[in-house]
Amino acid sequence: MLSKAVDLSPPANLPGTAPSPRPAPAVRLDGVVKRFGTVTALEETWLQVEQGEFLTLLGPSGCGKTTLLNLMAGFLEADAGEIFIGGDLVTATPPYERQIGIVFQNYALFPHMSVAKNVGYGLRMRGVGKREIAERVGQALDLVKLSGLADRSPRQLSGGQQQRVALARALVIRPKVLLLDEPFSALDKNLRGAMQVELKEIQRRLGVTTVFVTHDQGEALSMSDRIVVMSAGRIRQIGTPDQVYRHPQDRFVAGFIGDVNRLPARLEACAGERATVTIRDLRREVEAGALRDCAPGAAVDVFVRPDHLTLRPAGEPGTLPARVAALVYQGSHIDLHADLDLSATEGASAGGRVVVRMPGQGALATHAPGTEIGLLVPQAGLVAFPPEG
Amino acid sequence: MRPAIRRRPFLPLFVTPAVLVAAAIVAAMAAILRYSLHAYVPGSLDVGGFTLENFADLTRPIVLRALRDTVLICFETALITLVVGYPVAYALVRTRSVLLKSVILVTAVTPLFLGEVVRTYAWTVVLGNTGFVNAMLRQVGLIERPIQFMFTELGVIVALVHVTLPVMVIMLAAALAHIDRDYERAAQSLGAGPVRAFLTVTLPLSMPGVVAGFTTAFAWTFSAFATPQVIGGGKVGVVSTLVYQLGLSSFNFPVAASLSLAGLVLALGTMWAVRRAARPFEAMGGH
Repeated sequence: MLSKAVDLSPPANLPGTAPSPRPAPAVRLDGVVKRFGTVTALEETWLQVEQGEFLTLLGPSGCGKTTLLNLMAGFLEADAGEIFIGGDLVTATPPYERQIGIVFQNYALFPHMSVAKNVGYGLRMRGVGKREIAERVGQALDLVKLSGLADRSPRQLSGGQQQRVALARALVIRPKVLLLDEPFSALDKNLRGAMQVELKEIQRRLGVTTVFVTHDQGEALSMSDRIVVMSAGRIRQIGTPDQVYRHPQDRFVAGFIGDVNRLPARLEACAGERATVTIRDLRREVEAGALRDCAPGAAVDVFVRPDHLTLRPAGEPGTLPARVAALVYQGSHIDLHADLDLSATEGASAGGRVVVRMPGQGALATHAPGTEIGLLVPQAGLVAFPPEG
Repeated sequence: MRPAIRRRPFLPLFVTPAVLVAAAIVAAMAAILRYSLHAYVPGSLDVGGFTLENFADLTRPIVLRALRDTVLICFETALITLVVGYPVAYALVRTRSVLLKSVILVTAVTPLFLGEVVRTYAWTVVLGNTGFVNAMLRQVGLIERPIQFMFTELGVIVALVHVTLPVMVIMLAAALAHIDRDYERAAQSLGAGPVRAFLTVTLPLSMPGVVAGFTTAFAWTFSAFATPQVIGGGKVGVVSTLVYQLGLSSFNFPVAASLSLAGLVLALGTMWAVRRAARPFEAMGGH
């Protein structure tokens, strides 16, 4: 859920914007476009980040998420459109006047300054008095639990500690927006999980609007109030983690968020919000969504999560015939890879590889590679999209 | 016993050329040292018996003046080269324009291939009394009589700056290219304008390059011969030209050798002092 600012301050009166009862969004992008030469890195983008929100820009590398972040920060100039931060037009404002905090991928801690000097840098640049700097640096270091290390050099710190310093340095200036550029990618896996929880806790406590860039869908799902899924310079979907996970609006989103299997199918009929598809001889209902433009009989792809498929004995009615290809032990669960036999589906490729996720280890003994099995496809929780291209 | 594993079978092959070069340098230095410790026999290239007299000769005013002038000229040249070269190196590293990058690279690096002598003669064309600079200034009406560049210290320094600039630009560019742009971006996001971000972050982080560039320019200038010889025309006495006069005009090899050694010691001593004085700045770079 979005944590809105409690105080409903009067709306900023901007030219061309009607007064609204809500506070101005923390960040607003109106039709922003960015090109590099002939390549469009970011197609026309409209986006609002609400006050106090934790918004994640998620997508594979080259999807435009870092471009979008750099546009918000002011490191890049938009080729078209306007950018507002806290209700103020900042399209032409240089980064040093935008009052934003940034945590860089490699932290970019100044190596020639102590931890305290790093954290106090933004305050010194703003001409804050010495006593106040010392006080606020102390508070910021307390916040990230590094009080004892003020006089250290950044090089003497571990990766996790460096990240905390970077966070303290970005937060101490009380930024209007906190921008995080893949901040966890340099940390090892165990530390990453702990830092995520801690960062989220600090963010919630301070209520600071945060825009987080990542290619890691796990990070995005666990930390965000809302996720902006991007690919090829375009926003594909904006929604809560649950919305993008369970109700992807786009083929790309369905394939990108979480592990997923693709089952070739045919469209039977579209009726209002629902559509009927057949996978081999199984009839299933899905959200009509993107299928509205398809003619009955068209080939479609049905997406189903590995943990939603169930294993049945071979030949059981209402299942898809398949053969076990491999069993992959994953500790808490087993991933069973199976080759589907879809030869009965007209026009569909002969088969396809699917993954079934099974808790426990039972399958290791009973389903050796080569075993014929039946796959039970759930009635609900399926989404379908027209095939690519 | 286990058989010995030869981890680096090609090492002797790689090291041999270096050893040969080093041996040649040591032999040359030994020859110079030998000359410097033996008496000068006028009219002969052979030397007399062992003596320290040659080093006493170095206290003559003309030699002391040359030593002092050399250090001053080298210092001024290195300083001017640094001030001129830094913006050029910065532009080279930071510009996104391929054209500007190429122009800087070509103008900064190609002089290296021309050699000191060619460049120095080019400067005589530019700086001469009827040369380019004087002709221009006269045309514009700024001066009535030509400014004397040739055979002056100013002329020598101008030419030396040009000769030394490529090395300085290359060394500074290497240092600047190593500085992650995110440092500047971090500074800017924290409220530092471009000038303050440069002064508080980029400049301190580039100090190791500045110190290395300065000392290299200093040594480069110290060993310069053609430029002070041609532009200075014998009127600007520096160690290298004085050694040449003593050795190849007067054939006084022993004193020339002792002056060479004195120059070497002076150059090393000055560079050591510069490095030492720069240590706090270098530490700022934090590398």
